[in-house]
Amino acid sequence: MTWSRAVVAVAIGCVSAVSVAAQSAPVKNPFEGNPGAILAGMGNYRQRCADCHGTDARGVRGPDITQVWSSGRSDEGLFKTIRTGVPSSEMPAFAAPRTSDRDIWQMLAYLKTLAAPAAADPPRGNAANGAVVFRAQCAGCHRVGTTGGRLGPDLSRVGSARTRDVLASRIRRGSEDFRAGFEPVTVTPPDGKPIHGVKKNEDLFSVQIMDAGERIQGYEKDKMTAVVNTRKSAMPVFGPDRLSDSDLDDILRYLQTLRGFDPAVKQ
Amino acid sequence: MRILHSAAVVFLLAATAFGQQAPPPRVTLQEIADGLTADGSRWLTFGGDYANHRHSPLTQIAPDNVNRLAPLWTFQTNTLGNFETTSLLRDNVLYVTGPQNVAWAIDARTGRQIWRYRRELPSNLTACCGLVNRGFGVLGDKLFMTTLDAHLIALDIKTGTVVWDATMDDYKTGHSSTIAPLVVKDKIIVGAAGGEYGIRAFIDAYDANTGKRAWRFYTVPAPGEPGNETWAGDSWKTGGASVWVTGAYDAEQNLLLYGIGNPGPDYHSDSRKGDNLYSNSLVALDADTGKLRWHYQFTPHDVHDWDATEVPILADLPIGGQTRKVVMFANRNGFYYTLDRTTGKLIVAKPFVVTTWAKEIGADGRPVLLPGHVPNEKGAVTCPDLAGGTNFYPPSFDPATRLFFVNAREVCMTYYAWKPEYQAGERFTGGAGQRVTSPDSPAYGALRALDPVTGERKWEFKFLSPATAGILTTASGLLFSGDADGNLLALDSRNGKLLWRYQMGSPLHGTSPTTYIIDGRQHLLVPSGTTLTAWALPR
Repeated sequence: MTWSRAVVAVAIGCVSAVSVAAQSAPVKNPFEGNPGAILAGMGNYRQRCADCHGTDARGVRGPDITQVWSSGRSDEGLFKTIRTGVPSSEMPAFAAPRTSDRDIWQMLAYLKTLAAPAAADPPRGNAANGAVVFRAQCAGCHRVGTTGGRLGPDLSRVGSARTRDVLASRIRRGSEDFRAGFEPVTVTPPDGKPIHGVKKNEDLFSVQIMDAGERIQGYEKDKMTAVVNTRKSAMPVFGPDRLSDSDLDDILRYLQTLRGFDPAVKQ
Repeated sequence: MRILHSAAVVFLLAATAFGQQAPPPRVTLQEIADGLTADGSRWLTFGGDYANHRHSPLTQIAPDNVNRLAPLWTFQTNTLGNFETTSLLRDNVLYVTGPQNVAWAIDARTGRQIWRYRRELPSNLTACCGLVNRGFGVLGDKLFMTTLDAHLIALDIKTGTVVWDATMDDYKTGHSSTIAPLVVKDKIIVGAAGGEYGIRAFIDAYDANTGKRAWRFYTVPAPGEPGNETWAGDSWKTGGASVWVTGAYDAEQNLLLYGIGNPGPDYHSDSRKGDNLYSNSLVALDADTGKLRWHYQFTPHDVHDWDATEVPILADLPIGGQTRKVVMFANRNGFYYTLDRTTGKLIVAKPFVVTTWAKEIGADGRPVLLPGHVPNEKGAVTCPDLAGGTNFYPPSFDPATRLFFVNAREVCMTYYAWKPEYQAGERFTGGAGQRVTSPDSPAYGALRALDPVTGERKWEFKFLSPATAGILTTASGLLFSGDADGNLLALDSRNGKLLWRYQMGSPLHGTSPTTYIIDGRQHLLVPSGTTLTAWALPR
């Protein structure tokens, strides 16, 4: 019985996959979460994608593709990108019959395991209270939608891009590595007062930063007394003394309800 | 009567004009052989000369005035993709190839276009590693260009129209061509790219007048040919060993010297047991026949994608009390080599970046391997990374100071391998690499000056991250190159001191600036991003 239901489900999945081009409604990956498909997808991904995109899909010659869903791409759109390639780039078209629809969906099913939050987490926490705590504790530096600070990364989508455990760990224990564009730096001009900020860009001769007051400004290194990269993140560690377990649950629940910011939709 | 009269005037005017402005003589082999001359009137071959010195005798722009360089004009190619060309100059006109097989003739005085050529490319093209081109060759009144769909074409130098079109191989099987043709005698020397697609690559010579193929040297020998025994079973059929960077020509020996790419599949090598000749080798071919005279294999049985497609440079150097005819080669595997170019025997080999895979290069010329550097499913960490200690971007050589200048990369990588399946026209690499970076071991780059007699480093100029620019040096003691962040740089070539910089907005990639004289003024020409910019000292 279970078996026949599964067959029906796969058959429906295949039908919808075949008719991708004809449909206007977004198509979901029929193999998402299917362990066999994920394994097959891993094999295909490693053979055909990994030498450009990396074994962890974080990019080598080609771009990082672990954030594609969280940046708003749909299963259907990603399917089309793989099928037709990216014109005027090194991304080839994976054409039929050499690459079947099933191959592409399986690769996407595997890719999603490198990107998606763990599905096993049972939802817990109160999102409404999480929004209140977020505004009080986090919004000074982090933005959701159109409100909040800009010094840290925008978190409008982070709850659908990162696992609960990773987010909890970042909040509780802080972070040793920094996303490009958020590395802390201190620039000391000749007048002596150090400017703390995060690095937006840098070359041998200059550094572009957003300072603690959110001023964006470039500085020529040879005109500064010192330019020092800081290893410690500007993100404070929120231990249980600063943030209770239940408030942490609420913030995480709140973040998980967020699906990004679309300026075309009225808030 | 009146008609006759005006016709006579027109004829007279034309004749006068013809008399005053005789068309420039056609590009001769002697001019190409002369390389870069003191009058700065031309740049006619990839490396400036057959020895690939990429070193100009011009001295107008010098260490004490380079900081006064000012832009003269910018040409917008409006063509996306890496701009890896070495522009040719002849009679105040630049001949430039771009990405996606677009090419231009440009007025070198003003940056204005004279003609544009664009090749319609097949929509199902699978060019391996970027839709790029590294420049024209020229002879007589023809320009020669390789194409991404694996043709060699000749264009009319005055109009950019196709004179002949020769098919090198089938692009559908993954063959392409991006190399700048080398013109030797009456032949145009080119090679096939596509090493990641399981092709069996080659070096070809075509007749300059007709486009008829004169000879072919397969870089992977067939059964019955010497070297085939270095490939297990049928692995030679998909051996790769591509050719995509212009070699050198030694006229005295009538010898072509070309660097050969990696074997396929790149990382998973169980199917191709053996040394895999002539992958990762320097081959010396008779220019008339394409017959192999000697070869030197830098990386036998490569498993790290370390194509030996770097630029070989020829010179005569005093070594051990004798003048030796050498070829200098900074290899992607992290070692710098000086070889005797009459025999192919090793004279010097020394790492110029951190190399963890080999202890040294033995007296027999083979690397002494260290354990633990064969890629596998779990990953093996090796330095350098797959992009290598350096790569295809041209180095330069100053014959006066006898310094070899190279753009070096310090990056390590976790290499993975898994068994691949060959399908014609599909990638065939059998693995992947993941760059190793941490705050404690950041990846960086550096311009380095090496003594080719000892392989010792004389100076370095460090970059924040590894760069991909080629190098131009001049007799005034200047070195021009760029970093990965878009800075065009001028250094003192004697000590590596920074003298001048300009933020171009996009890095020089895969090529170097060139230099020449227009109307008595030395120009510096810089391809970067989608632009070509000419610089000179203010009048």
